[in-house]
Amino acid sequence: MAYVATRGGERAIDQSERLYRAELGRIDAARVAEIRHALPMLIDRVMGEASLYEPDLAALALAQSGGDLYEAVLLLRAWRTTQPRLTIADPVLQDQLFTHRRISAAFKDIPGGQILGPSLDYAHRILATDVLRGVPFVPPPVDPAPVAAPAQQPSLAAWQKAQGLVADPARADVAPDDIPDLTREPLLFPAKRAHTLQSLARADTGGMLALGYSAMRGYGNAHPTVNELRLAEAEVRVRHPSGTVFSAGRVKVSQAEVTSKGKSGLLELGFCATLGWNEVKVISGATLDLNAPGAAKGSPVEEEFFLYHTEPVEASGFCIHFKLPHYVTFQSSLDALRGAKAAAPIEPEKVPA
Amino acid sequence: MTIATLTRPWEAMSYGFLDASAKRELRRKMLKAIAVPGCQMPYASREVPMARGWGTGGLQVTLTLLKPSSVVKVIDQGADDSVNAASIRSFLSKVSGARETWDTTEATLIQSRHRIPEERLRGDQVLVLQVPNPEPLRPVEPNMSVARQMHADADYGRLWLILYEQIVRSGRVMQGAAYPSLVNGRHVITPSPIPRWDVPKLHMAQHLTFLSAGREKRLYAVPPFTKVEPLVFSDVPYQVEDHAALTCHRSGVTGYFMNEIPQDDGSSQFELSDSHLGIKAIRRAEGEGGRIGPTWYENGKMPQ
Repeated sequence: MAYVATRGGERAIDQSERLYRAELGRIDAARVAEIRHALPMLIDRVMGEASLYEPDLAALALAQSGGDLYEAVLLLRAWRTTQPRLTIADPVLQDQLFTHRRISAAFKDIPGGQILGPSLDYAHRILATDVLRGVPFVPPPVDPAPVAAPAQQPSLAAWQKAQGLVADPARADVAPDDIPDLTREPLLFPAKRAHTLQSLARADTGGMLALGYSAMRGYGNAHPTVNELRLAEAEVRVRHPSGTVFSAGRVKVSQAEVTSKGKSGLLELGFCATLGWNEVKVISGATLDLNAPGAAKGSPVEEEFFLYHTEPVEASGFCIHFKLPHYVTFQSSLDALRGAKAAAPIEPEKVPA
Repeated sequence: MTIATLTRPWEAMSYGFLDASAKRELRRKMLKAIAVPGCQMPYASREVPMARGWGTGGLQVTLTLLKPSSVVKVIDQGADDSVNAASIRSFLSKVSGARETWDTTEATLIQSRHRIPEERLRGDQVLVLQVPNPEPLRPVEPNMSVARQMHADADYGRLWLILYEQIVRSGRVMQGAAYPSLVNGRHVITPSPIPRWDVPKLHMAQHLTFLSAGREKRLYAVPPFTKVEPLVFSDVPYQVEDHAALTCHRSGVTGYFMNEIPQDDGSSQFELSDSHLGIKAIRRAEGEGGRIGPTWYENGKMPQ
């Protein structure tokens, strides 16, 4: 027979996947546990972008993808799609957060105090090459403060509102089931506030930094000052069918609030929060949020522009889709090109003497 | 009555992968899309186990339509055996129990990237096209909020202007695939990047077509017996690709859309883009029987 319908395509993709997985080797519980304990910041980043807080699953996704962050986020998001929604937790209030780190660049000191918490901000970034020569790096012990900082801190913006520095819009309480949900509704513009904040929370760290940084460098219209940056743990408080409210556990959260002087004579605020500890992301996100009102269409600080282009799963997926064959589309363009060429042969441009 | 009688045992995933609430939302949006032909309906678009931009929009519509008795065909650039088509098809049958086929005439559900099969689709078949960019106005207006307003106002002047400029510059319309087309006399759509050859197949067709963009979270439909008219000036007729006279070097068939295979000597050979039509033609030539359904194009021409 001249033409055999082979299943070559299927065989090829199967082997291609095997080749990738062979490189990663055996994945077992021990490997997943090691990733989880050794790379907490990476786990946090992936959980935030996947909008799924489960460190073991995030570690598993990293193990399965060999550390390819976009693949790991996609694995988690696709798994999330298959999960039922059980309940909606109570809102997390700032002054109830179990706060590890809380700083403000806007004031030398703030009510509740500056709490540095864990940070590499002031470290000398020197590779501990001795480790490779068999000398383990053992971190020096932490000296506990004589008086422990309070676990909960007041909100700085609340103090500013009391001072008349920041506008204090009326609280709009929404029933839990009526909270707009980006994973169950499309993002439309002008975006609902809840959608904007959810979209920032799930955004790609690198993408958000690139666009946020462009605003910081002068492509925005407002220069951010960090009003308050927090790394904290939040109780996930849910209601039992019997009516009892109980804590289902804690999740790590980060939030940044940046500010600049507005035209109205008040301070304007930009806000971003995400699951997991990820300072670069929330500062960038808050900067974009601060710059968004009144931004020109198509500028990087316009909400539509930065929310669409910082979606990690959409952006990475579309980028790699260009590896798919495009010969039909290309054939169609080629046909138009040849048709036009045949009708009007291009004269070589005459160079003026 | 106990809780146990009201619940089902735990399962790792829902039938057809998507959970019931996702399917319900999709069904509602699909019905809306049929009700207003060509109008883009925003939908939430769930993450599926496949990269965005690899057919996730088509996949979600197909998953919503699938049932155990479905017969499913998946095409990528005309071919059933290309890697992504194979991967999507096996996923579909794995999560639904639907039968897989390469044969256009056997399929009840056809998910396709960038082609409409050459064999005419019937009223009992549904075509699902994967759409990378659902917005025909994107070349003239990248901002989606503004583009939505333009659709509301049926403000398509800038699209006509592009076509006019192409004619002035190049002597002909230079639009390759994804030719902007007016549906039901109201909404301009991008028919997804199908070649110009395939657009007339949507016009007054017997079958229902869904076009779905997962990354861009929009779906739209061309219901059966609906007008689909490429945007053309009355004095410059619509031109499909110049393939009517080309012959497939493998099957000897003439008069359909071809893939060009460049040869070492600088010439080109051609092969049928609709790969399974080619297989059927070869089998028939070798006396193995098999039925080729009626095709949209006859002798390289679309009957008026």
